[in-house]
Amino acid sequence: MKKITFKVNGIPNEFIVDENLALIDLLRKGLHLTGTKQSCDRKGQCGACTVIVNGKTVRSCLTKVGELEGADVITIEGLGTPDNPHLIQEAFVLAGTIQCGFCIPGMIMAAKGLLDVNKNPSVEDIKKALRRNLCRCTGYGKIIEAIQLAGRFLRGETTPDQVRPAASAGQIGVSHPRPWSMMKACGVVKYTDDLVIPGVLEIAAVRSPHFNARVKSIDYAEAEKMPGVVGVITAADIKGTNSIAVAVPDEFIFCADHATVLGSPIAAVVATTRDEARAAAAAVRVEYEVLPRVATAAEALAEGAPNVNPDPDFSNIVYESELIKGDAEKAFSSSAHIIEEKFSTQLVHQACLEPETAVAYVDGEGDDAQLVVIGRSIHVHMHAAILSVAVGWDNVRYIEAFAGGQFGIKTDVTTEGIAAAAALHFKRPVRYTATLAESLVMTTKRHPYSMDVRLGADADGKLTAYGMDFIVEKGAHASIGFVIMDRSMDMLSGAYNLPNVKAEGKLVYTNDAWGGSARGAGPPQVNFALESAVDMMAVKLNMDPLEFRMKNSLHPGETTGTGQVVDEWAFLGCLEHIKPFYDKACKEAKDNKNETVRRGVGLAGASFGIGSANDSSNMAVELDPDDGLTVYGSVADPGEGNDAMLSQIAAHCTGIPLGKIRLSTRDSELVPDAGVSASSRQTFMSGGALVKACEELKAAMKEAGAKTHADLVAAGKPTRYMGKKILEDVQGVDKETGQGKTWGSFVHGAQLAEVEVDTKTGEVKILKMTTVVDPGTIFNPQAVIGQVEGGADMGAGYALREHFVLGKSKDWITYKFPTFATYFPKETVLLETPRSNAPLGGTGIGEFTLVATHPAIANAVYNAIGVRICDLPITPEKVLSALGKK
Amino acid sequence: MIKNEGRTIKRPYTRIIAGVEIMFNGEGFFITPSSWTEDVFQVLAQEAGVEEISDKQWMVVNFIRKFYAEQGKSPLNHHLKVGTNLSLAELEALFPGGLKYGVRRLTGLPDPCRRKVVGKRVKSD
Repeated sequence: MKKITFKVNGIPNEFIVDENLALIDLLRKGLHLTGTKQSCDRKGQCGACTVIVNGKTVRSCLTKVGELEGADVITIEGLGTPDNPHLIQEAFVLAGTIQCGFCIPGMIMAAKGLLDVNKNPSVEDIKKALRRNLCRCTGYGKIIEAIQLAGRFLRGETTPDQVRPAASAGQIGVSHPRPWSMMKACGVVKYTDDLVIPGVLEIAAVRSPHFNARVKSIDYAEAEKMPGVVGVITAADIKGTNSIAVAVPDEFIFCADHATVLGSPIAAVVATTRDEARAAAAAVRVEYEVLPRVATAAEALAEGAPNVNPDPDFSNIVYESELIKGDAEKAFSSSAHIIEEKFSTQLVHQACLEPETAVAYVDGEGDDAQLVVIGRSIHVHMHAAILSVAVGWDNVRYIEAFAGGQFGIKTDVTTEGIAAAAALHFKRPVRYTATLAESLVMTTKRHPYSMDVRLGADADGKLTAYGMDFIVEKGAHASIGFVIMDRSMDMLSGAYNLPNVKAEGKLVYTNDAWGGSARGAGPPQVNFALESAVDMMAVKLNMDPLEFRMKNSLHPGETTGTGQVVDEWAFLGCLEHIKPFYDKACKEAKDNKNETVRRGVGLAGASFGIGSANDSSNMAVELDPDDGLTVYGSVADPGEGNDAMLSQIAAHCTGIPLGKIRLSTRDSELVPDAGVSASSRQTFMSGGALVKACEELKAAMKEAGAKTHADLVAAGKPTRYMGKKILEDVQGVDKETGQGKTWGSFVHGAQLAEVEVDTKTGEVKILKMTTVVDPGTIFNPQAVIGQVEGGADMGAGYALREHFVLGKSKDWITYKFPTFATYFPKETVLLETPRSNAPLGGTGIGEFTLVATHPAIANAVYNAIGVRICDLPITPEKVLSALGKK
Repeated sequence: MIKNEGRTIKRPYTRIIAGVEIMFNGEGFFITPSSWTEDVFQVLAQEAGVEEISDKQWMVVNFIRKFYAEQGKSPLNHHLKVGTNLSLAELEALFPGGLKYGVRRLTGLPDPCRRKVVGKRVKSD
């Protein structure tokens, strides 16, 4: 130990510490300055822990306190507060940069380090200065915009007041700063690991190192004797069903007998500190009988293959699905042209920056005590109900903390299960924050698909038939894989008029990482195949790919693959608006002939269904005593912009100023059931329920002649009103006919990728991605553009780099997380064709780009090199190999 | 236990009960809880084997309908226990089918799991 004196945020401090203590630990644990985040297991990969020491940015996870004698340390909390923010914090808010917000304090500190020495940085200056900071939500463009806006503020060229939308600007189509963004910019919102809970016990899990094994024995005698250890918990201690599965009972808080995938939870150690818990977890001795691994779908389907699910009632085919429209075989037999190809997509990770984490404690005594779980995403009936049954405790309250990313990963229960079980078992508050390496193995992924495709066209270039046989590698747990399969089927025809369709899909267990909800959830895989095949057909027919898509777009009155008659199809308008960009890109590619570095232009479309069969949402509004309005509903907002959507709709519908709209969305005791924040459904569903709730309030006020809360109370009327939206007319496909209405609404768009392919190295560089999207009425343009740009970045990773390999993808570098080095410029054009059945005419947006980006890039690569790569990701090795085969 | 061999998803269906057209999911739960009425409930209860609705049963039914209307969500078991002053065992025994298929289904609440049945989704020939 050593006495060290240095300033933190201008305040001199004396610390008596281990000089090897990392600065991040002193800041977060010692000083509760939790705006400084950590994501990368202290490997210096993420930059979320960036602070300024003696005027220079440092990563506090790599900085030893012993080096700081006499230093001047500034953290995000020292920069500004929500009431008195720094101009850089203002700029990040006003540029619409902030989504989940987890990376933002580190980004802002790195920006300050740059702007302190260069108030007018170029894009290249910014990319270099922030090269060690990672972001999953934004695609980096909005961060660059924010820093350049901050430069304008600092140079005195403009002020935040001049940039900020006026209150009189209205609520529809106005980029008002999002309600929680300034708190995120100032590092004061609390993610679960930031919560200050004196005496909280920390959890570390023991996980199987084998892809498939039988648990023979668990010996934790030595672990229990280790310093700080309070106890060890296993499946034997769980009072409930122990199952945290969504449908098939194949996923458990702790494995009792079988551990069917690497990382399966076996036990957990609870100790006074996280380090003690992790040390003791390493001392738990588990004896395994290692079993053969079923590594691929082909192995799983082979005759005599062992069952992945140890329950003999479950074969390796988890689910089968079929889609039949018209008579595809007959149509193929009379088609003038047929394309046949195999496509495949890889396993990828949603890659939220925040490690998986949860807190749990018991509030009260005896049987009526309440088990409070502070978790990753509120979903009243999925999370609270599953946990209640799993741990065997009726009174469960679920509270959502701020979450660092979602992208589908938080629809399944992870850390909450172990935390809830431990809190009940030890009757003490506990926190379970996993390492990044552990978070990578314990979460769902995007399923890999293998697709055999046929596409037919007549002599005039009209599509005639589409066929697809596909196999989905499920991994070891079913999760919501069957929903993913159904979504693939229900959006199989994409944006096009395909009069005849025949598709068969199989969902197959393997002893591998398991798929679940992942941004787009099913359509991204099948749309890669469809948009690639459409491109191939255009080439075969010697038609321009844009004209070919226009010729084959669906039109109102025509039917999707499931036979749903559509009443709008804004896709064609998206193609029309992307044409000038496409023509310009084609001309530039032609003008830049280069044998070594070849330019390519690629298009892809997407028409994405929103609002599935019988979906429902419940929202409530309450007129507050100060005549403000509180909006209630379980609308998780890990960054997409639901906060802006709800507050702007409520302000628009009631006329109450935006500043007096309050959101209560995070506590299962307070909120109605608005369903899950997934499938791009919250604007369409909960926005719709909110409009109805506001109408109920206004009707009651009108009836009472009330203009204020006091008037309403005096008239004896309630102050709280419910609004419900139920998709009664969306029934899904009929078993008898295989056809039916599957979606309440659609978002449409087209994307244009411009790439350069280096034929010597095989590297693909994205020069620009242009998006034209039509989600109907747009409430907050910045929030919409933020979704499109972030999705495009994620889609580019899917197309070119990312591939999760269980056991090998252990951190952000091995996973090839996008960085400022992989940043590419993006331009987004917003169209607004109001939807007749959507709230104020607006539908969802969050997943659209994950459906079109990667096929657009793949098509651009083909356009550049004349060879098509059909298995993602398009790595340099595959490009070189393809060129060699040309 | 749900098995995945040769099983088809149970499709939603529509019935006219007591003059009301009602959509049910494959498990028999109301898709539109707002279409529940006391008359509909009595028909469904009778079909489930309850000849006469007791005061205790009405008390539970009324609590659930009020909770759902006011809160916009189904009561968890804890809410049911506290709100009705009955034990879980008593609630489980209140209607044939227990808490889920008896109490919750007959009172018009949505399927508490909202989980699709795993199986085949295929066109029948």
